[in-house]
Amino acid sequence: MTKQVQEAYIVAATRTPVGKAPRGMMRFIRPDDMLAHTIREAMAQVPTLDPALVEDVIAGCAFPEAEQGLNMARISALLAGLPHTTGGLTINRYCSSGINAVQIAADRIRMGEADVVIAGGAESMSLVPMMGNKVSLNPEIFARDENLGIAYGMGLTAEKVAEQWQVSRDDQDAFAVESNRRAIAAIEGGEFKQEISPIEAIYRNPNLSTGEVEIIKKILDTDEGPRAGTNMEGLAKLKTVFAAKGSVTAGNSSQMSDGAAAVVIVSEKILKQFNLVPLARYVGFAVKGVPPEIMGIGPKEAIPAALKVAGLKQDDIAWMELNEAFAAQALAVIRDLGLDTSKVNPLGGAIALGHPLGATGAIRTATLVHGMRRHGQQGKYGMVTMCIGTGMGAAGIIQAL
Amino acid sequence: MSQSKFIVRKVAVLGAGVMGAQIAAHLANANVEAILFDLPAKEGPKNGIALKAIEALKKQNPAPLSSKGRADFITPANYDEHLHLLKDCDLVIEAIAERMDWKLGLYEKVAPHLGAQTIFATNTSGLSINKLAEGCPESMRARFCGIHFFNPPRYMHLVEIIPCVTSDAEMLDQLEAFLATTLGKGVIRAKDTPNFVANRIGVYSMLAAIHNAEKFGIRFDIVDDLTGPRLGRPKSATFRTADVVGLDTFAHVVKTMQDTLPNDPWHSLFQSPQWLAKLIEAGALGAKTKVGIYKREGKTKLVLDPAAGAYVEANKKGDDAVKELMKIKDPGKRLLKLRESAHPEAQFLWACFRDVFHYIAFHLDTVADNARDVDLAIRWGFGWNEGPFETWQAAGWKQVAEWVKADIEAGKTINSSPLPAWVFERDGVHQPEGSFSASKNALVPRSKLDVYQRQLFPAQLVGEAAPVYGETVFENEGVRAWTSGDGVLVISFLSKAHAIGPAVLEGINKSIDIAEAQFKGVVVWHPEEPFSVGADLSSMLPAFMAGDWASIEKMLSDFQAMTMRLRYSQIPVVSATRGYVFGGGCEVALHSDRVVAHLESYVGLVEVGVGLLPGAGGTKEFALRAAQEARGDVFAALKDRYMTIATANVAKSAEEAKHLGFFRDSDVIVFNQYELLHVAKQQALSMAESGYRAPLKVKGFPVAGRSGAASIKGQLINMMEGGFISKHDYHIGALIADIITGGDVEAGTLVDEQWILDLERKGFLSLLKNEKTQERIAYMLQYNKPLRN
Repeated sequence: MTKQVQEAYIVAATRTPVGKAPRGMMRFIRPDDMLAHTIREAMAQVPTLDPALVEDVIAGCAFPEAEQGLNMARISALLAGLPHTTGGLTINRYCSSGINAVQIAADRIRMGEADVVIAGGAESMSLVPMMGNKVSLNPEIFARDENLGIAYGMGLTAEKVAEQWQVSRDDQDAFAVESNRRAIAAIEGGEFKQEISPIEAIYRNPNLSTGEVEIIKKILDTDEGPRAGTNMEGLAKLKTVFAAKGSVTAGNSSQMSDGAAAVVIVSEKILKQFNLVPLARYVGFAVKGVPPEIMGIGPKEAIPAALKVAGLKQDDIAWMELNEAFAAQALAVIRDLGLDTSKVNPLGGAIALGHPLGATGAIRTATLVHGMRRHGQQGKYGMVTMCIGTGMGAAGIIQAL
Repeated sequence: MSQSKFIVRKVAVLGAGVMGAQIAAHLANANVEAILFDLPAKEGPKNGIALKAIEALKKQNPAPLSSKGRADFITPANYDEHLHLLKDCDLVIEAIAERMDWKLGLYEKVAPHLGAQTIFATNTSGLSINKLAEGCPESMRARFCGIHFFNPPRYMHLVEIIPCVTSDAEMLDQLEAFLATTLGKGVIRAKDTPNFVANRIGVYSMLAAIHNAEKFGIRFDIVDDLTGPRLGRPKSATFRTADVVGLDTFAHVVKTMQDTLPNDPWHSLFQSPQWLAKLIEAGALGAKTKVGIYKREGKTKLVLDPAAGAYVEANKKGDDAVKELMKIKDPGKRLLKLRESAHPEAQFLWACFRDVFHYIAFHLDTVADNARDVDLAIRWGFGWNEGPFETWQAAGWKQVAEWVKADIEAGKTINSSPLPAWVFERDGVHQPEGSFSASKNALVPRSKLDVYQRQLFPAQLVGEAAPVYGETVFENEGVRAWTSGDGVLVISFLSKAHAIGPAVLEGINKSIDIAEAQFKGVVVWHPEEPFSVGADLSSMLPAFMAGDWASIEKMLSDFQAMTMRLRYSQIPVVSATRGYVFGGGCEVALHSDRVVAHLESYVGLVEVGVGLLPGAGGTKEFALRAAQEARGDVFAALKDRYMTIATANVAKSAEEAKHLGFFRDSDVIVFNQYELLHVAKQQALSMAESGYRAPLKVKGFPVAGRSGAASIKGQLINMMEGGFISKHDYHIGALIADIITGGDVEAGTLVDEQWILDLERKGFLSLLKNEKTQERIAYMLQYNKPLRN
């Protein structure tokens, strides 16, 4: 059990809708603007809280360069109107960056070093591609066979997991169909309304005949990824892209996406001082390494480790957000741990909803915090977990209040 | 200039069917803006039909577009909203369905919108041009004619121009020049007779083959085995051609002959056989419906057996004994043996030849101006290597005439019409002075239009004046270097498929020496395709078998020295490419000062296919060009170039070759392959006249270094682990990565050309010593296709 001087509470959590990358509705919105937007909106949810008390803004990002470079967290904090006294820290552990931002923020508070910290994440895969703008691998990777896995693309690692855990193409496709079905049902049921802060997109189209720039503005409030009517026949037609005789396709993999989220975390003292309503209590976190070539199995190690840290059993988790990097790895984790599929991604997962890498952990934290309260799961535990490139798994636990 | 200048700025194509859209595509390929019209769509955007047709162009195979981006130069349009656009078009090509009333209705509608000088041409393949002209508005008649493209228009060389009686003569000449130079087509002036020249005779030939196949009881798959490449005709031969054309289209053309040629003595032949009608009725229209005379069931290819009315496995080949007869070199003896043989397949083949000879001789006076037009029309429109009159003449005109006559008299021919008298009065139809015209009873020389001055060596016919390729300046086993006295030394390779072995290397070096002393410039050009299939691997075999690595290394460094000599010689060197430009051939082009490429140049550094790497400066050149193109980030500029080599990617047009970095923006694309040498010489002379100086040796250029190689290997490992490439592919790929990034040095290190050439050579030799590479080479030499091991 963790030793701590005080509890950390989530009092606000919000996110942008998630757009498809690289040609989706949010393709022109800068990630630092997205992050600033969510910081502003999260602070607006706790209007009584004095912004001057925000010690730090910690934001996850998997490829912190170019539009999301230059310490995006600090820039976004300032753009969001937080005082210059607030710090900014951009962190990277690829796909767990968002949940690690929450973890670091909460731990600062639990240690008693801070009382108000904003955690979040932002990623524009439209503007900064997977692997970044310039890839430069270390020649040492190729000097010894045992390091070759570092160079494996994520899709290839999914193929390796599919092969080793014998997850069939049909099972992966069926999983993808279900993810889309759940996501569409969730959108139709208004499940995401509470957690999404609509964001304005501006499209500038030069009219070459008039010489004018036509400006079209749209308020975006709905996730772009889910496809209604996704079915087995349609998915079966897709070709495998990562292995000639493989099973992983664009249809049963997570989508490339744009999105951001921010979560305000405070100490008990602040809760009382500003009369804030706690939405959830932060409980704990764990990270575990696995071989890079089967990175997708990471959560299998991280989930029990996080449960142990929190002193909980698997059954105690009422709602689990298990990032669907690939259906293959999600299914391998679900099967090996015997997870209850009704509790895993009840609103759909990354195959349908998208996966803006470093933002996903924070985005799904917002989903969990609002979703559990809405579904009457106060007092119960929820988890955000994911696999991580080069072979890791991470899991964070909260308790809904 | 005898002709007034005529510029085509914009062309409208009316009718966005396959033919109309593909004509528009070829216009766009040639930098001619095209507007593609069709009816307004009933639903969705009004340009929907044209839009869909343009989208489809990007997916069709063989590609109608020389690069996908060309589609942007085709503007979709519809008759409701855009007729006003016609006023800016210098040429309008109508390509709608073959209905006289529809066509005339459309002409009525567009006439008021045409500019005064607009040429209006119909791409009809069956309707009478004069009848259409009579029906069209008065204002259009002087500038009206037929231009008949062949499918697919980018690839089929033939275009028939069919004047109507009112066609303006100068307009026809202008149109011919545009078709020949801009679109690169071979133009035949056809008469306004049903189906014009090529289809009249080509389709007759197919009908005669169908007739004789039935008569001699030859299965369709055997017919196709016998009447394809073995006869110098396309792989699709007879029945597969019908499938590709579309059985409905084929039947339509036959129907036109039936309706419009009532007095043709062969009229009884002009009907679709019952089995064909049945197929069409069942919706089996050939390639476009995937079922026709042939179809596939899983991996099994099936062919129609008309007698049984069912499909059988298409696994029968022609008899070897008959095929031996077909291989006889002497054309006269070949025909004689086929005629004398009792084998039904030989009888069938002879009958096919004979019935075509019979037909073309009988009809020459009405169907075409002269025999040359018949032969070129069939060659360019149906892809035969040799026209029917040429085959006849090559086999001995008089002798063959007697055989045909005897067969007519013996009742073996389709009908008993006698051969016309002129046949027996001549020794042949093609003579140095010209080709025979039955209607004029005279020899007709080639066209004197200005545009043909650009064709230094036009397509030759058997019996014509043998082409004189200038005066020999130097000749060895590998090359002939010659000049026409214009200051340009032309180097033509003499080797098979223009492969480059020691004699070619030596010949090039000698020729450059001579040219530096005596000529203004050099053009590498050969009288026929391809430019070059690359290094002559078999010339390395003896040294290789003896394990004489020193000799092999010497050959390689000679090759490298030759390409460097091309680059740094004191005279401009122009490579004139068409067809395959592979491996060592590509490296020759890469080191020329300029490439003048026929659009149909297929370019690639394909060494990986035989387990090797570009070792005569190809890898070096890509590293150097990447460094020159890079604005700070060498690796970014290099990675696509690397992939092009590593995957042996072949550009499928000269334009794609520019995109892939084989050719430069300054290189010139020529649409008519017969103009290639003219343009190449002009380029060499213009460089010389512009005060040509050899480029200065590159002092030092930055390479992507060892981290660049590592990043490439990152991709390779994913391809290997994903099962897309083999372990040996990975080995070759990693080796090329190490070379193209400059070896074991840091990113940004400056190296010179020789540095990378040395790496190339060492890498090449190490691969040559590799067992897996040796297997690949042996396989290629034996089966002429790559082995994946």
